[in-house]
Amino acid sequence: MPVSTAVHSLAGAVRKQEQGLLNCVHCGFCLPACPTYRRLGDEADSPRGRLYLMQAVVEGRLDPGAEAFQTHIGRCLGCRACEPVCPSGVEYGHLLELARQVGGDARRPPIPARALLRVFGTAWMARPAMFAGRVLRATGLPALLTRILAGRRPPKGARLAVAMLAASAPPPPLPGRAEARPETVTQRRLEDKPTVGVLDGCVQAGLFSRVNQATVRVLRANGYRVVSVPNQGCCGALHAHGGDLDAARSLARRNLEAFEAAGVDIVALNASGCGATMAEYGSLLADDEEMAPRARALASRVRDISQLLAERGPIPGGSVPLKVTYDAPCHLLHAQGVADPPARVLDSIPGLDVVPLPGAAECCGGAGIYGLTNPRLGGWIGSDKVRAVLGTGAAALVTGNPGCMMQIGAGLALTGAGIPVLHLVELLDESYRRGGLYGKAGR
Amino acid sequence: MVPATLAKSLVEICGRDGVILDEDRLLVYESDALTAYRHRPGAVVLPRSTEQVQGAVRAVAEHGLPIVPRGAGTGLSGGAVALDGAVVIGTARMNRILDIDAPNRRAVLQPGVINAELSAAARVHGLYYAPDPSSQTTCTIGGNVAENSGGPHCLKYGVTSRYVTGLAVVLADGSVVRLGGQGREAAGYDLVGLFVGSEGCFGIATEIEVGLLPVPEGVRTLLGIFDRIDDAGQAVSDIVSAGLLPAALEIIDGPTIRAVEDSVFAAGYPTDAEAALVIEFDGLKAGLDEDVERAAVLCERAGAREVRSARDEEERIALWKGRKKAFGAMGRIAPDLLVQDATVPRTTLPAILRGISEIGERYDLVVANVFHAGDGNLHPNILFDRRDEHELERVERASKEIMQLCVDSGGTITGEHGVGLDKKHHMELIYGPDELAAMWGVRRAFDPGGVMNPGKVLPEGAGGD
Repeated sequence: MPVSTAVHSLAGAVRKQEQGLLNCVHCGFCLPACPTYRRLGDEADSPRGRLYLMQAVVEGRLDPGAEAFQTHIGRCLGCRACEPVCPSGVEYGHLLELARQVGGDARRPPIPARALLRVFGTAWMARPAMFAGRVLRATGLPALLTRILAGRRPPKGARLAVAMLAASAPPPPLPGRAEARPETVTQRRLEDKPTVGVLDGCVQAGLFSRVNQATVRVLRANGYRVVSVPNQGCCGALHAHGGDLDAARSLARRNLEAFEAAGVDIVALNASGCGATMAEYGSLLADDEEMAPRARALASRVRDISQLLAERGPIPGGSVPLKVTYDAPCHLLHAQGVADPPARVLDSIPGLDVVPLPGAAECCGGAGIYGLTNPRLGGWIGSDKVRAVLGTGAAALVTGNPGCMMQIGAGLALTGAGIPVLHLVELLDESYRRGGLYGKAGR
Repeated sequence: MVPATLAKSLVEICGRDGVILDEDRLLVYESDALTAYRHRPGAVVLPRSTEQVQGAVRAVAEHGLPIVPRGAGTGLSGGAVALDGAVVIGTARMNRILDIDAPNRRAVLQPGVINAELSAAARVHGLYYAPDPSSQTTCTIGGNVAENSGGPHCLKYGVTSRYVTGLAVVLADGSVVRLGGQGREAAGYDLVGLFVGSEGCFGIATEIEVGLLPVPEGVRTLLGIFDRIDDAGQAVSDIVSAGLLPAALEIIDGPTIRAVEDSVFAAGYPTDAEAALVIEFDGLKAGLDEDVERAAVLCERAGAREVRSARDEEERIALWKGRKKAFGAMGRIAPDLLVQDATVPRTTLPAILRGISEIGERYDLVVANVFHAGDGNLHPNILFDRRDEHELERVERASKEIMQLCVDSGGTITGEHGVGLDKKHHMELIYGPDELAAMWGVRRAFDPGGVMNPGKVLPEGAGGD
C-alpha cells in the first residue's frame, strides 16, 4: 500500500492529539447523535465506526482508496453532533478533514465536487458564477420551476439545485408593518465601541448580500463600529471539509492578512460554517511557524453575530407579529458550542412567537456540498427536517447559515407550503426598520 | 468471509443494503465496547423484521456457521464479538416502539429501541422505564435483555428482569416462540425469566414487552465529598443499615473525578477529593426531606468534608452526567481500559477498595473506580495502552486478582455487564462442575446445535462439551 504524505499527517495528528483517535474508547455514546447512523443503522456510518476506519488506515490495515473508507468517510455530514456527546473529547471534525485529505489523495474526488470548490475559492471565477446565479434567480425561472417540480419525492440533483437557488431569494414581505409613530428608541452608544470586521463570505456575498447588509446595520444599531475589510475572501470551510486542506490554508492566510490589516477587535460571522472554520484557523495553520500564533490570535476574536447581539442585549425594535421556529446550524451549535444566543436574540423581538422545532439540533442535510456528493441521503435527511418544520405550524423558519437556508428553503419550497427561511439578522433588521431605528426613511 | 451461497440467500432475505460482506466494512464490527477482544465477523446482517431475523438465522444455521446478536455494540464483556467468522445479526434497524399502553403501564417494542428513548416516549404519559444503565442514551433494550442490565437506580428499582414481561424470540432453528406477554405471570415455567440475561445464547428477542413505572413525584440528589474513599464506602454501608432506601448510591473515585471534570460532562466534583458519593432519593414528596437530612448526617459522621444538595434540575442532571459518562471519559487518562464488574457484600466495601488499590500499585497500573456502591456492584477500570504487550499481561493478571479478591469476600464475578467472553473463565471461581453442567443443559435445550453465540458465558469442558 502506498503511504502518502497525507496518511503521515493523519498519523501525525493522531499522535499530536495525544493519541487522538485512541482517545476513542469505543463506548458508542456518539451513535445516536449521528444522523447517518440513525437512518442507516450501520456502524460503519457512525462516528465510532468512521474513527475505527481512520485508525485502520493509520495502522496500515486498510487502504485509504478502499471502497469502505471512501464510502463511509464520504458519507459523513461533518455536522460534528458527535463532539459534544463524546466523554473522551475526540476532536472528530479535525480528524475528518485529515481523513478526507487522505481519501482524496488515494482517489480523486468526482469532478463536479472539485470544480465547485475551485469556483468558490477563486475570486475571478466566483464573482461571475454568483452573478450568473443572481441573474438567473432574478428571472424568476428557478422559483417557477420549483413550483412546477414540487412533489413528494426528496429533492436531489437538478431539482435541488434549482430550488436552492430559488430559496436564496429575499423572503416575501412579512406580516405587520412599521409602527406609525416609532418609539424614540435610539441607537445604542457604547463607550468602548469595539471595532468589528464582517466576513463577507463567498456564497453569502454572492447570493445573500442582503444578510451581510443587515448584519452591518444591526451591529451599528447595537453600538459596534463596523469597518470594511478589503481583500478578504472565501474562508476555506468547504475546502477543509472536503479534505482540500492546502487550498483551505491558502485561503486562511489571505483572510488572516486582510483582517489583521483592517485592525479589528472582533471578526463577526453571519455564516456559522465559516465561523467554525475561522475559529479553527489556529489548528489549520498550526504547522506554519510564522502564521500559527497570528492565526490563533485571529481565531480567538471570531464571534457569531448572534453572540455579539446577545452580549449587548440586543436593543429592542418594532413588532414583527409572526410565528417562527428556529433550526440550529450544526457548525454553530456543535462546532462552536453556541446554543443560547440565537434564542436570546429571537426573544428580544417584540411580537414574535417562537415555537420549538423538534430535532432542531440535528443536521438538515445541507452540509456544504453534501447534496452534490450524497444526493439520496442528503435528500432523506432534508425531508425529515422539512417535515419537522411543517409540523410546528410556524409561518417562517429562522436559522443562521447560508447552506442551511438554501437546503431547508429548497425543501420547503418543493412542498409548496410557502414557508420562507430567514436569517436571524434579517428578522432583527426588519424589527429595527419597523421600530424606526434606522430613521423614518426605513432602509 | 462466508460461502457465496450463504451470502446470496442473506441478500435475498434482508436486501442488498441489509447485508455487509465487504471485509473492510466488517472491520468496524470487530469488537464491542471492550476493545481488548477483536475478531472480524464473517458477515453482518441488519434485518428490519422478525421474519428477516428468522430467515437469516435459518440460512446461517443451515451453513453450520455460528450467530452473534448485536445491539449498539456498547457491551463491556465482549459478548457481541464474533468468534470463528460468526455472522452478526444486528438489531439497529429494528428500532420501533410498537405500542405504549399507558393505562396498563406497558410497552411493546423492537429490540433496537434505545433505552433512554423508551423513557422519553413514555414520559408524555407520566411513565418511564426504570432500569438505567450508564449507557442508556445509546444502548438498546435488546442488549439490556441479553445482559439483564442494571444501572444506578436499580438499587431501589431492580434490574431488567423485573420489567420484562413478554418476548417474541427467534430460536436457533429459525422458529419463533412467544414467551409470557400481556404482563401476566406465565403459567408453567418462567421462560421469560430464563431468557433475560442469556447473553444471546438462547435466541434473538425480536419483540419485547416491558412494564413501565409512573415518574416519581419528587427527586432529591445529594453529593457527599470525601478525602478518603474508605469513608465513602462506610457512608454507603451506614445509609443502608440505617434503613434508608435511596434510589441510587454511587461512588466516583479520585482518578475518575479528575477525568470527568476534564471532560465536557464536568459535574462540579472537587478535583482534589478522593471520592464523590452521589445519593438520590425519589418517591412521594412527603418524607423526602427527612431522608435527605438523615443521609447527610450519616455522610458527615462517616467523615465527609462537605455534603451538597443539587439546587435545581439542571444541577441534578449535571451531577448525573458526570457519573454516567465516566466510562467514556477514561479515554482522557489512557487509550484503553478494562472495566471490571463484580459484586461484593456492601459491608466489605472499604476493605475491598483498599485491596483493589493495593493490587493496582503492585502491578503498577492505574485503577479508577466508579460504581454502584449501594448494590456493592464494583466497576474497577484498569487503564492501559494495548500497544504495550507487557502491560496487557499485567492487566490480565491484576484483573484476575481483583476478581479473586471479590469472590473470596463472598462476592460474585459480575453485577450487570454479563460474562461474555471476558469472564467465561472466571465462572469456575464461583460454580462447581454440577452447576455448570446444569447451565449447559439449559443452554442445549434452547440451542441443541450450539449455533447461538458459541464460546461465550460457559467455559468449555466444564460439564459441557
